[in-house]
Amino acid sequence: MSNSQARTSGIEGRLSRLPLAWVICFFATLVVAPARAETTVEVTRAAIALDEGVYALDVDLALNLPGGARRAIEAGLALRLYYEIEIDRVRRYMPDPGVASLVQNYELSYHALSQRYLLRNLNSGEQQDFGGLPAALDRLGTVRGLPLIDASLLDPGTTYEIRVRAELTLRSAPDTLSWLLFWTDDWSATSDWYAWTHRP
Amino acid sequence: MGVGGLLWLSAILLMARTAQHAEPFSQLHPWILMINVAGVVVLLALLATKLTQLVRDWRGHVIGSRLKARMVWTFGVLATLPILLVYFFAVQFLNRGIDSWFNVEIRRSLDDALVLSRSALETRMRDHLAATEMIARELSVSGGPLPGNLEMLRRQVGATEVIVATENGVIVTMSKGLSHDVVPDEVPGEVLLQVRQGRPFVSLEPLAEGGYQIRTAVPLGASSGDRGGMVVQATYPVAERLGALADTVQAAYQQFGEKDYLRKPLKASFILTLTVVLLLSLLAAWYGAIFTAQRLVQPIQDLVKGTRAVAQGDLDTRLPLTSHDEMGFLVHSFNDMTKRLRRAREAQQQAQQVAETERANLAIVLARLSTGVIALEPDLRIRTANRAAVSILGEELDGCEGRGFAGIGGPDGLLRQFSEACRSRLAAGETEWREQLVFPFETGRRVIMCACTPLPREGETPGGYVLVFDDITAMLQAQREAAWGEVARRLAHEIKNPLTPIRLSAERMRHKLMPAMNEQDARLLDRGTETIVQQVEAMKEMVNAFSEYARAPRFEMTEVNLNQLVTELTDLYRAQVAGRGVTLDLQLDPTLAGVVADRGRLRQLLHNLLTNSVEALEGRRGGTISIATRRRAVGDDEVAELEVGDNGPGFQRELMGQVFDPYVTTKARGTGLGLAIVRKIVEEHGGHVEAENRPDGGARVRVELPLNGVTRGEAARREPHRPEPRRERA
Repeated sequence: MSNSQARTSGIEGRLSRLPLAWVICFFATLVVAPARAETTVEVTRAAIALDEGVYALDVDLALNLPGGARRAIEAGLALRLYYEIEIDRVRRYMPDPGVASLVQNYELSYHALSQRYLLRNLNSGEQQDFGGLPAALDRLGTVRGLPLIDASLLDPGTTYEIRVRAELTLRSAPDTLSWLLFWTDDWSATSDWYAWTHRP
Repeated sequence: MGVGGLLWLSAILLMARTAQHAEPFSQLHPWILMINVAGVVVLLALLATKLTQLVRDWRGHVIGSRLKARMVWTFGVLATLPILLVYFFAVQFLNRGIDSWFNVEIRRSLDDALVLSRSALETRMRDHLAATEMIARELSVSGGPLPGNLEMLRRQVGATEVIVATENGVIVTMSKGLSHDVVPDEVPGEVLLQVRQGRPFVSLEPLAEGGYQIRTAVPLGASSGDRGGMVVQATYPVAERLGALADTVQAAYQQFGEKDYLRKPLKASFILTLTVVLLLSLLAAWYGAIFTAQRLVQPIQDLVKGTRAVAQGDLDTRLPLTSHDEMGFLVHSFNDMTKRLRRAREAQQQAQQVAETERANLAIVLARLSTGVIALEPDLRIRTANRAAVSILGEELDGCEGRGFAGIGGPDGLLRQFSEACRSRLAAGETEWREQLVFPFETGRRVIMCACTPLPREGETPGGYVLVFDDITAMLQAQREAAWGEVARRLAHEIKNPLTPIRLSAERMRHKLMPAMNEQDARLLDRGTETIVQQVEAMKEMVNAFSEYARAPRFEMTEVNLNQLVTELTDLYRAQVAGRGVTLDLQLDPTLAGVVADRGRLRQLLHNLLTNSVEALEGRRGGTISIATRRRAVGDDEVAELEVGDNGPGFQRELMGQVFDPYVTTKARGTGLGLAIVRKIVEEHGGHVEAENRPDGGARVRVELPLNGVTRGEAARREPHRPEPRRERA
């Protein structure tokens, strides 16, 4: 299996979410803003393995959550992690058609009463709890055996490109106040695409 | 503009709604904010443009700019003050209101509720941990984790699930209630880690499906120490009621903590929303102030421009009627005024045009009039004068309009004498008179018939005077000539007829009686009859002369070489005058062409002039008679000039105006008809003659004859033509 990575700038990705006029209007503010720790997320490893006729995905992330984000989680905000997984068939002279795409959503929150961190898979509803944030983040950044696609859907001898990207963002637990996060420090981060090819 | 305004209004409402009910618009919040900021920027740019224009107008002293600036300032300040006041209190209220949501009492109450809930649950957790430890002890005592014992113990302690696993998490045996999933939960790593460290594990765990469970874990045989490496994990349910209460406390605490964390952004967002609305309101108020001021000032500017246009004579100015209020009434009145002014001006122009036409006609009439007309201002300044006046008075009056009439003209000139005569009468209060004025002149007297009439007054100002005059010198001369002609004709008729019988009778008497008389009587008769015959002969000559003057000659117009004629005649006279010591001096112009004239009449003319000069030099030694001919241009015409002069005594000054009159002579033997006949011949040929004394002594008579051959009839027709006759100064 040969791997290739397509990386884009993290700053560009962040700015691209903002309206251009807003960026222009507050350009000076952004320029003179003091340097601060930023949330970073990076896909350090990703691989698929065939398990009983189904390809399962393993992903390892390197998460770095600054203190401000940790305090925000302890204050009651939820940290959400979105995995975007895409499978394209590689063709030589034509655009690559998409074969499958998958989004996995996780939410990490702090339960003050029990003093435990709850990690929920928003797709399946599964929940785990952890006594500390590092353990919860470790678990959040580790995906094991995620069923990705049935092997029968992939043509033998054909090259496929598999891409994985993770996006981390803070949300309010009920979404009513999420717009206010626009005015807080941006704890959001998106990793570059981690891509590799696979030939069944 | 309207669409933009609606868009901004919608953006403001959406932003306000976002602040209240954010969920539907949370994703759009940046865009809504951007639209509002863009609105502020656009409005600011528009306002800056308008204010710049206003300042430029102010500096450029544009009409209405100061009023407009004052109105904008007043409106703007009136709008700004309340808005700022509301903004200030709103910000204060917002800050205090939001801060009041997160006051210390609420935080403390929530903390206390949380602690209380934890305390309640921790009691249960300790109980369940004790139960788990009891299970571990029982299992140790009973010799191992047998499924039967485990099930019994689970039921005994009321656990949901009891698992015995190795330190690595491998489940050895388990017991689980039937109401639960038969698949056991794996033992979490942190549980194994803590148990391996010899510490019991207990925790309250929220469940994904709601509610709580208490997880406990202890090492198996921990009390006896012979079952090392095994872990007993038991999970216990939390009562539904207690779980619901705990959920309530947790939710309240979580929401409060979340909002407390977002307090600053919340305040910032609300204040920003308020600020954007304030800015939009302020800018809109100022823009509206400018717009309103412009609307109010525009009619005034139009009025001022219109007034200036009217002042510059543009009466076609019409102002747009933009409203029906007092300003509209003013605009309507202005338009009505300009319309009336335009009509009045048109009427005035028509009247002026009529007056101009009449004036032009009058000017033409005056110009063609042979009578001189001079209009004077009340202060005797010349208002106008026609060409005939110039011709009569002999001096140019062009450019004299506005000059004083008194004292005008050269010294001793006719114009000066005429003006002084008129001025003296006007100064004496004689405003309406008619009089024949006689002025002495270098070539003779001039008689001018003048009438003065006051012009009608123009309002309060006097109208001035008009002088109408004509030179009647020639007319009087003609009348005199006609009278003399009649006298001559009568003399010829009444006297000439008896002269022949008288002479015949006298000669018969001498012839018949003288032989019969004695010598003495015969001599007496002879002298008497001789005297009669001589006197009759003299009277006959005189009558012939009168007859010659009075008769209308028959003309035979031919081309006459004037030089040759002069030469012939002077040759005849040369021998006659040589004996008297008189010399003839001829200066003939060889370029002189032939004159179309009656040769006999021209000979008569020359004869009379030469006779006059010879008689004037009688008895004088060293007399000289000069005869000269010249070709000269007079205007567009050419004339042949004949000048005959002598160095005799000259004309008597008192007779200067009458030398061409019949029977005017200073000689003892003259009939006084010589120069009268000369002038008559000249007039018959369309020429003119003048006589004057030479500065160095003697007399000089100058005759001008047209070279283009004017017949007697043409000469007669030319008589009324002013410039030529006026040159007949004698």
